[in-house]
Amino acid sequence: MRWYLKAVGPKKVFEFLVLVVFIVFFLGPLLNLAILAFTGNWVYPDVLPKEWSLKWWSFVLEQDEIASSIGLSFLIAAIVTAVSIVICIPAAYAFARIRFPLSRFFLFSFLLTNAFPKMGLYISIAVLFYRLDLMNTLLGVVLIHLINVLMFMTWIPTSAFRNVHAAQEESARDAGASPFRVFRSITLPMAMPGIAVASIFTFLNSLDEAQGTFLVGIPNYRTMPVIMYSIISDYPAYAGAVFSIILTAPTIILLLAARRFLSADVMSSGFQLK
Amino acid sequence: MSKQSKMGVLGLLLVLPSFLVLFVIVILPVALSFKESLTNDSGGYDLSNYIYLFTDKLMRSNIIFTLTVTIISVGLVLAVSYALAVYMRFNDSAIVRWIQKMYMIPIFIPGVIATYGLIRMLGNRGWAAQFLYQFGVESMPRFIFDMKGIIIANLWFNIPFTTMLLASALTAVPNSIIESAKDVGAGMWRIFFNLILPLTYKTLLVAATFAFMGIIGSFTAPFLLGPNAPQMLGVSMQQIFGVFQDRQLASALAFFTFFLCSIMGYFYIREMTKEERGKAT
Repeated sequence: MRWYLKAVGPKKVFEFLVLVVFIVFFLGPLLNLAILAFTGNWVYPDVLPKEWSLKWWSFVLEQDEIASSIGLSFLIAAIVTAVSIVICIPAAYAFARIRFPLSRFFLFSFLLTNAFPKMGLYISIAVLFYRLDLMNTLLGVVLIHLINVLMFMTWIPTSAFRNVHAAQEESARDAGASPFRVFRSITLPMAMPGIAVASIFTFLNSLDEAQGTFLVGIPNYRTMPVIMYSIISDYPAYAGAVFSIILTAPTIILLLAARRFLSADVMSSGFQLK
Repeated sequence: MSKQSKMGVLGLLLVLPSFLVLFVIVILPVALSFKESLTNDSGGYDLSNYIYLFTDKLMRSNIIFTLTVTIISVGLVLAVSYALAVYMRFNDSAIVRWIQKMYMIPIFIPGVIATYGLIRMLGNRGWAAQFLYQFGVESMPRFIFDMKGIIIANLWFNIPFTTMLLASALTAVPNSIIESAKDVGAGMWRIFFNLILPLTYKTLLVAATFAFMGIIGSFTAPFLLGPNAPQMLGVSMQQIFGVFQDRQLASALAFFTFFLCSIMGYFYIREMTKEERGKAT
C-alpha cells in the first residue's frame, strides 16, 4: 500500500480524496434518491435494496394532486419565462446599446432583488398581496417567481449584447441593412447564447421555486415543489424519491441541452458586473 | 425632437416595464412592510412589534440560533469554496477536470429535492447509517432535526454557487503575473496573499454577501430538516404570517432580517456600482 502511494505521488492521492469527498457529499444524496425510486422494499441495514420495482411510479402518477401539479408547474414556468423575456430583453438591449438618462440608475436598481434576504422579502410581498387581493392568484405567483429571475434575465443578456462588436453592426448598416434587420440578423444571433442561458435558468428557477409559492399560492396554486413539502411528510419515502426524479428530470434535460453555452463566466455575469 | 433625445425616450420606454415590475415586487413591499411593522394592535404607530422581538424568550433564541447557523455556515462555505476554486484554477489534471465538470450541478437541483436527499441520506436510519453499520458503527450522530443538519444543507446549497463566482473571478487572474512572481522567487503563500487575494477580494465579498443573505433568508432546508425550537427566522416568519396571521409581527421580523443584511446589502451595491463607474470614465 505504502509503495503504491509513493509511486502515485501525494498530490494524486490528495486530489482523489477531494474527488471522493465531493462525490459523496454532493452526489450521494441524489444517488440515494435515484436508487430509492426504483426500490420495492429496502430493509435497514442493507447497503443496497434487495427488491427492485417500478410500483411506486404508478402509485405516484395515480395521485390526482401530483399529476395536476406537474401541469401547473410547467404552465407557470412557461408564463414566467415568456413574461421575463418580453420585459427584460428589451431593457438589456437598451442598457447595452442606447444612451439614455438615468441608465446607470436603472441598471443598478436590479441589484435590489438580491439586496434583501429572500424569506423576508417574500413576507413583505405577501403583506402587500394581501392588501391587493393577489394572494392565491396566478398573477401573484408569477410576480413572486419574477423576483429571482429579474436581475440575471437582464444582466446576462446585457453583457451578451455588449460583447457583440459594434463594428459588425455598423458594417451591416453601411451595406444598407435596416436597423431592425441588423438587430435580427447580427445582434440577436450573436447574443443568443447569453439569452438562451438566461432563459433556461429562468425556466428552471420558476420550476423549482418553492418558498414564495408556498407563501402566496396556497391552496390553489400548488406547484411541484410545494406538493413536495407535503409528500416528504405524508407519503412513503419511495414515493417521495419517484417524485424527486420527476421534478429533477426537466432540469437535467435542459442542462444537457444547454451545456455548450453554460460556463461559470456566463452564469456569474448575471450576479455581478465585470 | 432631435435624434439623441428620441433615442433617450426609446431607451426609457424599453427599460420601464421591467423597472415597474421591480417596483411592485421589491420597492413597494419593503416600504409597506416597514410601515406595517410599526403598526400596533390598536392601529397606532409605535415600536411594540420590535420590542416583542427582543423581549420574547422564544424569539430571542430564534434570532441567536439564526445568527449562529449563518456565521458558521458562511465561514465554512467561503473557506471550502475559495480553496476549491484556487486549486481548480492552478492545477490541471484529470481529476480536477472531473470536478470542474460536476461542481455546478447542485446549483440547478431544486432545493426541496436536495433537502429531501440529505434527509434520506443522513437520517438516523439513512444511507450513511447503513454504510456505517457495515463497519460496525451502529449509532449515527444526530443530523436531521438538528442545527448540524441545517449547516450541512447550507454547505450543500452554497458551496457550488460560491465556487462558481470565485472560479470566474480567478480566470481573470493572468497566468503571466503568477509566473513572473514565481520567477523572482515568490513562494506559494506570498503569491496568494499579495496577488491572488487582492485581485479577487471584491468577488469574495460579493460571494460572502450572497451566502450570508441566502442563509439568513432560507426557508426550505430549515423548514424540512431543522429543529422545532429554536427555529431559523425564515421558518419563524412563515409561521407568524401563515399560522398566527400576525402580519405586523411578521413584517417586523422581515424588516429585522433586512436590517441584519443591510450592511452587506449596502456594501454589495456599492462595490458593484463603484467598478462600473470606474469603467465609464
